[in-house]
Amino acid sequence: MIENFLAGSAALFGDWTTISIFVFGVIGGMLFGAIPGVSMLTLAAILLPFTAGLTAAQGVMLFAVIYCTGTYGGAITAILFNIPGAPENAPTAFDGYPMTQQGKSGKAVGAAVLCSAIGGVASALVMMAATEPLAQWAISNIGPPEIFALVFFGLAVASSVGARTIWKGWISVLIGLLIATIGQDPVGGINRYNFGVSDLAAGIAFVPAILGFFAVSEIFVQAERKAGGTYVAPKVSLSFPTILELWMHKIAVIRSILVGFFCGILPGIGATLAAFMGYGEAVRWSKDRESFGKGNMEGVISSETANNAATGAAMIPLLALGLPGGALTAMMVAVFQMHDLQPGPLVFYTSPDLIWIVFAAMFYANLSILIIGVVETKTILNLLKIPFHFLAPLILMLATIGAYISRGLVLDVMVMFLAGILGYLLRRSGYSIPGIVLGLILGKIGEQNFAQGMQMVHYDLWTYFSRPICTLLIAAGTITLATSVYRAFAQAGKEA
Amino acid sequence: MGRLTRPHLVEAAIWLAIVVIFFAFSFEFNQPIEIYIFGATAWPRVIIILLLVAAVGNLFYQYKHGSATQEGRVGVAVSDDGADFGDPATRNKMIAVLVVPFLFAWLLKPVGIYFAAPFFIAAIIWLFGEHRLRPILIMTAVIYVIFLGLFLVVLNAPLPQGNTSPFYGYSAWILKMNTKLQGLW
Repeated sequence: MIENFLAGSAALFGDWTTISIFVFGVIGGMLFGAIPGVSMLTLAAILLPFTAGLTAAQGVMLFAVIYCTGTYGGAITAILFNIPGAPENAPTAFDGYPMTQQGKSGKAVGAAVLCSAIGGVASALVMMAATEPLAQWAISNIGPPEIFALVFFGLAVASSVGARTIWKGWISVLIGLLIATIGQDPVGGINRYNFGVSDLAAGIAFVPAILGFFAVSEIFVQAERKAGGTYVAPKVSLSFPTILELWMHKIAVIRSILVGFFCGILPGIGATLAAFMGYGEAVRWSKDRESFGKGNMEGVISSETANNAATGAAMIPLLALGLPGGALTAMMVAVFQMHDLQPGPLVFYTSPDLIWIVFAAMFYANLSILIIGVVETKTILNLLKIPFHFLAPLILMLATIGAYISRGLVLDVMVMFLAGILGYLLRRSGYSIPGIVLGLILGKIGEQNFAQGMQMVHYDLWTYFSRPICTLLIAAGTITLATSVYRAFAQAGKEA
Repeated sequence: MGRLTRPHLVEAAIWLAIVVIFFAFSFEFNQPIEIYIFGATAWPRVIIILLLVAAVGNLFYQYKHGSATQEGRVGVAVSDDGADFGDPATRNKMIAVLVVPFLFAWLLKPVGIYFAAPFFIAAIIWLFGEHRLRPILIMTAVIYVIFLGLFLVVLNAPLPQGNTSPFYGYSAWILKMNTKLQGLW
């Protein structure tokens, strides 16, 4: 492992272009994560078409670096504006924003810098040790039925997070799955739902849809705040926490690393679950539960350690099984596909160099959060004084070009703005945007693997579901669903 | 009616309409696939049926609890700082924010991005609350130069040039200027 890591490091730092891409990813991820109204997903979606001009290793590495630093960057908007940069930063806002209101934004951001770096480095080390053995095991044990079962489990988890009710969670996922059926079916190549528009025969492209649902809808949300006069500029302070203040929370850090890593492995929405569970455990074990939600620094520490600990873990299902763990890892699948590669266990044999450049880059990206984070965060805190009405048109222009450039179709720009309007309306009504995007991305993978699995077992459902891993995953997904539905009805019973 | 409100009914009607439309259109590609007995319709139809179940469940939940968040849900971004759309000015402004980008996208084919972009940038700045002419003009120019510098000069990205006169002519002039600029180094 150490030899491979050193080889990956040498490849990363041995070429000026790769170094430049790495530095761009570190700074870009932090910056976009920290600008209110956009996120690391916006940057990733804008850059996606341009990765075609890079090598596969550079493209995937760029996204992995943005994932690490962007997850941290999203904490800054959560703390300063009560706008989580990504769903996994949502619990950071619970205590981070009250700290800002109390004039302690510097302390909250400082805690986020340190804990994101610790969680991310720990996670990167475990990822390097665990991913390859898991991939080797997967080659002989994971087939289409298991991948379908994993998709089902991922969607079941995704449906239970991010929306106001289990029903809205499922509607979000199902709308994503339904959008994914537009275009040719993955088995017979028959055109579905093109409504007479020839460009729709190729289906709805991921990039415009993702740009619309995340970046454009966020701009519309900010526009609503502006129109309603509820947009509030943050109080900025630059006093970081002392080492002693952070040392007092060491147990919370260790607990959150463990929680973050185990949640992050779950395909679907691991990092979000990790952040919420990290925060929840901090509240459960605290002697001062009442102070949470009112500006307790341990809330920020727990959430940020857990979500960054999940970044390395989320790469395991992507690289070992070919299944994305969230919206950004889903975009990484698109990067692989643009270079005629398929993420999954075979990639360790076909492109080992790519894997170790990515691993090394994630390790150094997490380290650089600590080094660059302190310096850059202070700059960002000052950049936040730029009015949002100047940032919005720039973001919309970048998104327009990002949507158009991948296929050269004006239709994709229309799809992006339509997805933006849809995303904005659905967010207002309590639906889950990550749920829709995961449904859209996992839809084709799920259908294809279900069909292949069925053909493999000659349409015998008993044989299909009697494969142990498949049974386990279907059972886990069903339990997740049943628990959510039971809770919904139990609440109804209690209120009756 | 329980705790149902008009938006809840509209929401349910939209999901129902999607179910009906997608189910009806599924007959257009209802043809057998030789190597797969379920054909091309099975997967979308299962999704449609599940969507119908979820929409009914959602309506039932809203009947019982209104718009309340279900207990124990994680990752729900509940914001209480939305605009009051009872005010016609706010409502019209928001409608304009939603329509202008769509209009811009629609104009890309006939007018092209090089001509349409400055108007779009200025419109968005204005809609986001900056009404002073000088800052609008300066920021529009800055963003337009960033856009041209990054995507035309540095990346040479193929962008829509428009197909009607005189807009196409303007795009051609911009591209000619870029070629001259590239020739300098």
